[in-house]
Amino acid sequence: MKRKGLSFYFRIYCKILAQDLKSKMSYRADFIISTIGMIFTNIAGFVSFWILFRSFPSINGWSYYEILFLYGFSLVSLTPVQCLFDNNWNLRQYVYSGDFIKYCFRPINLFFYYQSEVFDIKGLGQLAFGIGTLAYSWNKLELGFTPLMLIKMVIFLITASFIMIALQNAAAATCFWIQNSFYVMDLVLKFKDYAKYPITIFSPIFRFIFTFIIPIAFIAYYPSVVILRPDAVPVLSWLSPIISCILFGLSYKFWMYSAMKYNGTGS
Amino acid sequence: MKIKKFLTLTRAGIIESLQFRLGTVVIIIGNILYLIVVYFLWKAIYSSAGTDIVNGMTFSDTLIYLVLATALFNFMEMYIVWEIGRNIQSGKIVLDLIKPMKYRQYMFWSYSGSFITNFFFTLLPTFIVVAIVTHGAIYFGINLLLFIISVIIAVSINYSIDFIVGTICLYTESIWGINIMKQVIVMLLSGVTVPIAFFPEPLKSIVYHLPFQSIYNAPLSVLLDGNPQLNTVLTTIGTQLFWCVTMIALSKLFWKVSIRKITVNGG
Amino acid sequence: MYSIEMKNVSKEFKVLNRHEGLKGSLKDLFSRDYKIIRAVDNINMNIEQGEIVGYLGPNGAGKSTTIKMMTGVLEPTSGEILVGGNVPYKNRTKNAQEIGVVFGQRSQLWWALPLIESFKILKDIYGVSDEDYNNMLTLYQSLVDIEPLLHKPVRQMSLGQRTLSDILAAFLHNPKIVFLDEPTIGLDVSMKAKIRTLIHALNKEKNTTVILTTHDMGDVDALCQRIVIIDKGKMLYDNDTMHLKNFFGSYRTLKIRIDGNLKQQTEKIKFALPDFSISADEEWISILIDEEKAKVMEVLNQLQSSYEIRDMQLEEISTEDVIKKIYEEGVE
Repeated sequence: MKRKGLSFYFRIYCKILAQDLKSKMSYRADFIISTIGMIFTNIAGFVSFWILFRSFPSINGWSYYEILFLYGFSLVSLTPVQCLFDNNWNLRQYVYSGDFIKYCFRPINLFFYYQSEVFDIKGLGQLAFGIGTLAYSWNKLELGFTPLMLIKMVIFLITASFIMIALQNAAAATCFWIQNSFYVMDLVLKFKDYAKYPITIFSPIFRFIFTFIIPIAFIAYYPSVVILRPDAVPVLSWLSPIISCILFGLSYKFWMYSAMKYNGTGS
Repeated sequence: MKIKKFLTLTRAGIIESLQFRLGTVVIIIGNILYLIVVYFLWKAIYSSAGTDIVNGMTFSDTLIYLVLATALFNFMEMYIVWEIGRNIQSGKIVLDLIKPMKYRQYMFWSYSGSFITNFFFTLLPTFIVVAIVTHGAIYFGINLLLFIISVIIAVSINYSIDFIVGTICLYTESIWGINIMKQVIVMLLSGVTVPIAFFPEPLKSIVYHLPFQSIYNAPLSVLLDGNPQLNTVLTTIGTQLFWCVTMIALSKLFWKVSIRKITVNGG
Repeated sequence: MYSIEMKNVSKEFKVLNRHEGLKGSLKDLFSRDYKIIRAVDNINMNIEQGEIVGYLGPNGAGKSTTIKMMTGVLEPTSGEILVGGNVPYKNRTKNAQEIGVVFGQRSQLWWALPLIESFKILKDIYGVSDEDYNNMLTLYQSLVDIEPLLHKPVRQMSLGQRTLSDILAAFLHNPKIVFLDEPTIGLDVSMKAKIRTLIHALNKEKNTTVILTTHDMGDVDALCQRIVIIDKGKMLYDNDTMHLKNFFGSYRTLKIRIDGNLKQQTEKIKFALPDFSISADEEWISILIDEEKAKVMEVLNQLQSSYEIRDMQLEEISTEDVIKKIYEEGVE
């Protein structure tokens, strides 16, 4: 048997992805309405943000534009989980109906095969919103611009993405263990809303919890501080790329372990 | 014995919601997390504002409002749009339509069981905790009775809105898109996430002329008003009643027109 | 080497004991009351390359569990399984390369895509060479008319077309073993025949081992040289289809409807046909005919000479009947 390396998986991914886009096009009305829904979500997010913070020049030492930067950062870093791992949301139904079994009969990595099946283009709209917000607040904050900053930015955005992906994988995998994992997925989805505030507003206990137990501070705060306040970067920010890789690896292991442990609903 | 068949559905609903043992725990954890975030966020906002009263509300007013709004939201959240949408896609709706009960009633009573479990598991405990922690910030008087009346009307408005949006699924395949739009609009304009008192002026008066504020803002303002004037109470509940009647009529009419489409076209 | 080898294979599941009613549900909220179910109980069998084996049993007998173990999805609680020399659950992906699976009504094809696109993805996933792929398509074309199916999205296909497509997809990478779970369920007679012919031809052409679970004795008659019967996780029977046939004879039930008082007529027929077991319900009189002893047509002629037959039906003996008879009489 041939060894299945990265190039094999990359080729397969592109093929399946292209097919998914083709089939999305065959449900055009759904695509348009979902896209409008996504734009709605983003606009509403901005409006609530604006209503909350418009009358205060700063909160807990964070200026309006700094908070806006965090907000934009979280939007961009959430794009990969939205675009590439959206099939996690369907996992519960596949397991419940027993259809999940069909993914188990293929001679390729189960997790890869499952996730490759859906690419959610709607996420790209969010990406555009996020980049717009980032650029706007970056400009207003007069952070300046160097290639090094751009590299840092990309690295730490990827870091933040990995954390969210890891959280969502773990949440989705709970459906192999409990009956209604929708609530767990929903809970993790809400994390992204909590992630956009600076961790310093919390008391020390909760700072600890949101850093080490439920690591939502890594979704936007720690990675973005590297750009936002380069003079006072906490050690955890520099460690966050490593932490994100570890968490992603763990979530993958948990997902696979759960799937293999899963014994089919009845029959 | 007409009421009996409704109560059977309620009972079945209670049993069903108790099946998800972990679901309840997860919801409670999620709410606690949300409340922690809300607490610290608003604390930061108030301490940055420099005054004790912002937009006519003190810190504890705002907090009580948001805590109870969350509890109320969890109490009323019904996922009706998903349910109707999925039933339409799977064709199960045909089975529901031949039941000897109006579909609108059947759906409502099927969900009524979860009202009861939600009431005992989330709304009541939250209410008691808030009442104890804030030492009498909630007045115990006629306002409690008015609150209950107001919530009942709110449930009815919320259900009608959900049902109208669910009916739209008869025309389009896009459940996700439709549902997310509804959710975002209701969340923003009903005052669940940010109290309406904080809205800037033109937006505020627009929101007061829409049905959504009758769902969360109205019951909470009735409850938190320690010195209810007949005039204000009548306006609030009167507005609610107006929307309640309008929405019920609209949802019934829309359903009647739409269902003809199914029966004529054969689904 | 056997194609499939199973030695003392058992599988147990742990399930929560649920209670009835409102009180019961409240109790379940805190309950740790589990029970162990033995879904598969000490199964042994060896299957040769190229055999078509009918794997039968009532619902919940443990058929799907066995198949899930053979495909590497489930790990047996105890015992050994070798599929094409591999231990399936230890190396699921390697095993998957050598097998093809059709799981009843769950299509494994891409719902919104034309069949040919699904084939192309599968070709890449299984690493099928262009040459083998084209040969396979040519073979398919010679067996069934696939041209109109290839460009049709799967979601627009009829159930029969979808099943056919799923079977073709399962054979595409020329696996050594194909598992077919209820391939003819819900199909009409002509489609059933078409599917059976296809399976038979592919098996002959490629010498593929086929494991077929079904409720339809027609599938067994048309395809299987060998039958394995399982009930409540235990193996009841494993032998030639012919052997089972000989043992039971070839029973069929002739049902007729005639005018007049049903009870009286039944008595009369019992008297006229003393060798047969005869029973009656509100409408029909059933005559169990052993075709080794008498032809159905002869019986029918005999009856027709004395009675006005308004309606008649002929029923095959069902898997359920076979299992009932095995329980009652045993098999040598």
